[in-house]
Amino acid sequence: MKKINIKNLIVACLLFSIPVSTIISGCAASAKVAAKTGSQLWSENCRRCHNTPPATAFSADQWETIGLHMQSRALLTETEKNKIVQFLKGE
Amino acid sequence: MKKSILLFGFIGGMFLFPFNANIFAQSGTDSTVIKLAQEVNSLKAGESHFLVVGLTTFGFVNSSTTTNGIKQKPSSTNTFDANHYEFSPMFLWRHGKNLLLEFEPSFDGNQIGVNWACASYFVTPGLIVRGGYFVLPFGMYNKRLAAGWIDKVATDPIGVADAPPASDWGVEAEGGLPLGSMKCSYDIAITTGYQMLHDKLQDGALQNPNGSGLTDNNNNKMVSGRFALLPFSNSSLEIGVSGIFGKVGDTNDSLYKDATTTMYAGDITYLADIRPFLLNIKGQYNVINVNKGTFPNPGDSTKTYSFSNTSTSYFGQISLRPVSLRNKIIRNFELAFRYANYITPKGSLWEQNSTQTSIGLDYWLSWRSIIKLTYETVNSNYASMGISGDKTKTNYVYLQYSVQF
Ligand code: HEC
Repeated sequence: MKKINIKNLIVACLLFSIPVSTIISGCAASAKVAAKTGSQLWSENCRRCHNTPPATAFSADQWETIGLHMQSRALLTETEKNKIVQFLKGE
Repeated sequence: MKKSILLFGFIGGMFLFPFNANIFAQSGTDSTVIKLAQEVNSLKAGESHFLVVGLTTFGFVNSSTTTNGIKQKPSSTNTFDANHYEFSPMFLWRHGKNLLLEFEPSFDGNQIGVNWACASYFVTPGLIVRGGYFVLPFGMYNKRLAAGWIDKVATDPIGVADAPPASDWGVEAEGGLPLGSMKCSYDIAITTGYQMLHDKLQDGALQNPNGSGLTDNNNNKMVSGRFALLPFSNSSLEIGVSGIFGKVGDTNDSLYKDATTTMYAGDITYLADIRPFLLNIKGQYNVINVNKGTFPNPGDSTKTYSFSNTSTSYFGQISLRPVSLRNKIIRNFELAFRYANYITPKGSLWEQNSTQTSIGLDYWLSWRSIIKLTYETVNSNYASMGISGDKTKTNYVYLQYSVQF
């Protein structure tokens, strides 16, 4: 394989960063979705792959870690993850 | 070559995202205060948290096989189910709010392997980047449903968990994004890739890097990705499409150095509350294409034989649990049915058409521990270069326990 040309790589990075960041920040939830509570999101999302774990299953610190882990497995949105973790931590 | 620049650029571009995301920030006193608070937080030493979880699965199996209509001796065997035994601790280490390290070694009764070992950085809302050894974004079974305490029957669907290889080394970018009342997610990886076998018995098959001894036989990387849409606001339906593209030929092999693979998968998950039941539907369809299907004839190496190098596999599963019944015992039962099919290339030396029908009665001891009673029938028709071989039928009864701890 030819070596990757650094100049091309930087140009490609910059070119791609514009549409990608526009898409990511342009994505917004509808008012109905934005109004969902942590407990609602927990009951709707966590059961898609396995049984829904109760809040008592782990400590607050553990939920922070599991929150990141499940955000990646389930590809939750940032808001969903934050609200669900807050709910599970009992905040 | 151009493709790889674009892809590296794509991932690199995502890294740059936090810098140009400021363009979208609102001005005003509120945002200044938020910014200051964020700056102060970012200067604090990150808190670390270490968590050990994991899973184990074990059980018993009774099996009886008929080959070409003749019952095999002994007529049935009862054994500890070594094929599905697993003990896998999982180490999760979170540093601050954005970095997660995951390591899952696994003992399968014979050896200790590694399911994944990777670092994930949560760059910005909607973007997670990962590096290391991880499960490929292709379909949903391997990444989401394969764990014994998640799978509702005692076995994996035939040809779905193992035919497209599961884990590989590389980098990955993924995220979940709101889309009005819908949601979508993307998951793209660039990894080392697979190797096409060229060893007579398995001419044209791909080697699974999940086993031992994967060698990177070319410098080209493999690209895999999944895009999913959750069209309903309650996240009850998820539809995913995936693809894998890459070279699989050995650069030193003059005949097969240009071998490439193209794979596609579609998957669906749907959950519905039909009181008192929770209905759970899952399915995945895989197609694996390799562009080489002509090999030296094993009987006469001056001649060749050819086949269309395409394999397909799929599974469909439906399960029902009376979750909202008052009776604590009955609501922990779940009934599951799964049908799976695996077809390897017609005319190859490894031709196979197998169907697997599984019926399971499960009892949930807690949200993460399950006792499964699964009855399964696997029908396989084997052939070699178009000549029919054995037809086997095996009935299994599994009694299995699995727990996430
Ligand atoms: C897309 C499928 C999926 C969804 C949706 C999902 N999980 Fe998981 N979860 C998994 C898998 C798969 C595992 C097993 C560990 C692994 O594969 O990494 C797991 C493991 C866990 C564990 C065990 C500890 C750990 O981190 O591995 C907990 C706790 C958990 N999930 C909580 C949740 C919660 C809470 C939600 C809802 C926000 C959720 N899960 C949604 C797939 C999912």
